[in-house]
Amino acid sequence: MLIDNWGLFLLTRELSEVLGGVRGLKLFMQYEQYKLAAAARAAVECGADCRRPPNDVIALLFDIARRRGVLREGCQVADVPEPKKPPPQITAEYFQMIDDIVLDKICEYVAKPPPDVMSGEEASAYYQALVSAPFYVAFRRAIYSKLAKLYKYSAILDVGAGTQDPLDILAVCEMHGARCELTAHEVDQKLCADLEKLAAKYGFSVVCGWERLGRYDIAVVQNVLHWATDPLQVLTAARRHARRMFLSQGVVEGAGVAFVMTRILGAVRSLSWKEAEALAKQAGWRLARRYAKYPDYLALYR
Amino acid sequence: MSLTTRFKCPTCGADSLAAVTPELLREAAEKGAVRALARCPRGHAAVLTVDQYGLIRSALPVREQAGPDCEVTDKAPISVRARLATILEKGAAADADVLLLEKAKAAGWIICL
Repeated sequence: MLIDNWGLFLLTRELSEVLGGVRGLKLFMQYEQYKLAAAARAAVECGADCRRPPNDVIALLFDIARRRGVLREGCQVADVPEPKKPPPQITAEYFQMIDDIVLDKICEYVAKPPPDVMSGEEASAYYQALVSAPFYVAFRRAIYSKLAKLYKYSAILDVGAGTQDPLDILAVCEMHGARCELTAHEVDQKLCADLEKLAAKYGFSVVCGWERLGRYDIAVVQNVLHWATDPLQVLTAARRHARRMFLSQGVVEGAGVAFVMTRILGAVRSLSWKEAEALAKQAGWRLARRYAKYPDYLALYR
Repeated sequence: MSLTTRFKCPTCGADSLAAVTPELLREAAEKGAVRALARCPRGHAAVLTVDQYGLIRSALPVREQAGPDCEVTDKAPISVRARLATILEKGAAADADVLLLEKAKAAGWIICL
């Protein structure tokens, strides 16, 4: 089972609709499984030993493949047929991106680390394409609107915002006729510079680094922890500056080959939902409501 | 006091509003019609032909620098080629597109003359 809360999927109706309902989601998962098997098989055929993976990227690929039952004893990769129907329209670009970033270069990743395969400029362009892809935008807007209900809060802190998240938060506020005061936080200097360009036009503030943060009604930590060198510090800082926290984190239990893709683009770790929850509690947060455990851990903390 | 008049963006088809000032109407009454520059909500520029009653007779797209002088290269990955081509053809619909264009240029996925 790749999703632990089908009710949640139905609750986020906008996302459900763009995916084509439950059938669309099942088809999406079939493609995930198919791409994962194709990537694992390609890595094995390129000489990667599944017992002694050559590097972190291939190790993560094999780990996910094992968890999903695709990689078996003796480095045998299960035969997963390609689904007959095309993937849901909105996810077509996403699956093609998996081909471009992971599958087409898998032999190179077996031989060398990602920075030797893909330039920093390319990784940055892929990142921007990924975060602004229609599928991912629809996902974020659905959870911000239906679960976090961010439009109810006047002062919002977007931790590790990236370039697309603030626009989605403001879009949700506007959709509900709410006026949200948003502060987008980043630690990456290049992303800060990009955020500054957007901030003046959209009327939000940018804080680069952990200094100068104020006090907020809610902190949004959306798919940040796997990019962070110290995830506990991120959650502790959020605790210091916000009364509540909405934590959304893709976790390894439901992970697909997209996890390998983000690792190639610069993510530094993968977490289980239990680890994400334990870190939040260690940072002083109290769980108010857990919406889902996987594939995305979604929870509200106080 | 200015009035507003509606027009359909010739680039993306978005319903848009343009301000029609008394000076513009006066000039249109003298010359038969005048031209004015306006932008749609998605930022596309259009040249409007406005008559003495403030009605839009035509709306023509403005060729902007980032559009036709740029093209998607073979280096661009298949996954984003269609999106990049659409942005170059129709103009950036959102600021995320503008950022994507910048990054794509840096990565050599598009080149501009």
